[in-house]
Amino acid sequence: MFNRVVPFAAIPLVVLASGAAANELNPDVSVTLDGYYKQNDTALSHREEGFGLGHTELSLSAPIDDMFSGRLTTVFEEHDGEGEILIEEAYLQTNGLPGGLGVRGGRFLSQVGYLNGRHLHEDDFVERPAVYRALLGSHYYDTGLRVNALLPTPFFWQVGVEAFEGDQLSEGDESIGVYTLNTRVGGDLSVSQSWQVGLSYLNNRNIGAGETEEEHEHSEEDDHDHSHGALYTGENLYIADAVWKWSPNGNAREQQITLSGEYLYADDLNEYATSDDFHEGWYVSGVYQFAPQWSAGVRYGEVDLRAPHGDHFHSMNLQETDVMLAWSRSHFSTVRLQYTHQTDTGFSDADNTVIVQYVMSLGAHGSHGY
Amino acid sequence: MVTDMGYTRWCFVVLLLGLASMPARADFQVFACEPEWASLVREFLPEAKITTATSYLQDPHYIEARPSLIAAMRRADIAVCTGASLEAGWLPTLLQRASNSAVQPGRPGLFYAAEHAQLHAPHDHVDRSMGDVHPEGNPHVHLSPDQLPAIADALAHRLGQLRPEASGDILARYIRWRGRWSQHRAEWRQKAEALQGRSIVIQHTSFTYLLNWLGVDARFELEPKPGLPPSASHLSQLLTEPGLKNVDAILIAGHQDPQPANWLADQIQKPVLVVPGTVTDSGETQTLAGLISMIVNTLEATVQEESGGSL
Repeated sequence: MFNRVVPFAAIPLVVLASGAAANELNPDVSVTLDGYYKQNDTALSHREEGFGLGHTELSLSAPIDDMFSGRLTTVFEEHDGEGEILIEEAYLQTNGLPGGLGVRGGRFLSQVGYLNGRHLHEDDFVERPAVYRALLGSHYYDTGLRVNALLPTPFFWQVGVEAFEGDQLSEGDESIGVYTLNTRVGGDLSVSQSWQVGLSYLNNRNIGAGETEEEHEHSEEDDHDHSHGALYTGENLYIADAVWKWSPNGNAREQQITLSGEYLYADDLNEYATSDDFHEGWYVSGVYQFAPQWSAGVRYGEVDLRAPHGDHFHSMNLQETDVMLAWSRSHFSTVRLQYTHQTDTGFSDADNTVIVQYVMSLGAHGSHGY
Repeated sequence: MVTDMGYTRWCFVVLLLGLASMPARADFQVFACEPEWASLVREFLPEAKITTATSYLQDPHYIEARPSLIAAMRRADIAVCTGASLEAGWLPTLLQRASNSAVQPGRPGLFYAAEHAQLHAPHDHVDRSMGDVHPEGNPHVHLSPDQLPAIADALAHRLGQLRPEASGDILARYIRWRGRWSQHRAEWRQKAEALQGRSIVIQHTSFTYLLNWLGVDARFELEPKPGLPPSASHLSQLLTEPGLKNVDAILIAGHQDPQPANWLADQIQKPVLVVPGTVTDSGETQTLAGLISMIVNTLEATVQEESGGSL
């Protein structure tokens, strides 16, 4: 938790220091405004009912020299009326090391799974799927080191390892609390279709070191705790992901269909866990951008959890269906209407809700990943 | 600690695999962001293996940094792109993810055409309320009869620098290309006489360099702001423009939605001309000179028809 909460008063300073528009020597400044109105509270959600601010970001990025580039992303969040600033990214990235190697150091989003490495403002739905919210705290970022290699194959094949401090996922004593391995391959099926599949493994070494008491307390206050770490963890987390995109003649400007899905499985929940005790969840999502400014999407996801209670576990599960319609005036503004339907076992706050959200991007707008 | 050892070993395997598999290839790999630059490279270095990131059916502002392009960028000896922020939505991600030291900014393997041209309409002040305006100026420079020789010259020299053993051939092909271009330019200049002072409606500033050169007035645009799709309110406002009576046609690119142009064409009883925004895969428009000739001929034929009809 160290240094994670910076006084709220720091915001104006940061803004002043970078108030001028990006020029050739100043870093690119970008701000993402995310606000919403939500009708009801829902289970495993990071957004409370009523009007609220979501993931409001201030980001500075620039090449440092011909070898390194860097990025700082601070996130302003509000919970129960208390504001806080989190540092979500503060990293350096190498450019063009020999052998297709890329190294990233500092704080950054882990690349496990398909969604986790993406910024939240790029998402097609208001919140990440339930299984991401439960097992990764929506998006897992931490302080550490990443080494990626892009293999010189005719198709896209990347392998990567990350080592993290681990405290952003679950607190513990290990100096390197989390390791991840990740590989993804992808290519084109035709000029209109492209795909990517990935496999990831995350080893959480802070689990299973006799921390069950604390785990127990955490789970008691799940519903009100706004911890940014994951609420449900296991020593091993496996993720499989797949994405397929289609647009006529590859012209994504006019129309595009994106189908994506992921499966997550976590086991060795704590020292009492047997082979029957594991967390598991998946989602599939389909988004159709049917005109340059309009897109509609449906997502269904489930998560089955085993909440630790002393030496035994309680089963919980949540099924969630989201339907959304989004309008983007330009590439830099989106207004989204979403309906979320939840059914559950073991959650006290599952509900259905309507959400209206805006995501606005000010200033420099970095390029997006696939 | 057993697992610890396992991971350390895994890291090494990954590192070694990445380092050891550095390819030793004889062929010259080119990554062209747009097909116009692929066609130019093909003129000067026909044996190059070229991957083209976009086609004439795609809007080059809006493609994605998809896996196949990352793999192609990883292999590239040179990346030839427009620059001037045209590819700002996807090229930086490709360059970063591909980790190819040959094509990083500042290295000779990254060629931006716009750096070798005088761009129209550069802006000292740009904000997003103006639409997707590029501060560097209009990046759609590939159809400029006057600017292209300077770009081609720089590209030929860059290719020669990266491929010294072929530089003599590259230069010879460039000089021949330059001669043919000058001939074409003289033809277009002749045909432009009939087009002087004519007026057409365009959708986006894609053809502006050529139209300006031809002396065609292209001040009416279907897009309310650069990069925003045509809207009903903008089109009805356009209809009230007094100058709209004098236009001869509506010119759009093949990758643009024809509906707004067709709607306006019905209202003002003028033809819609759909031409490729850049070079195509085959036919007469597969070279830049062929494409410009095709556009000039299309405009000329339309103007003659319109004049004939109104007499």
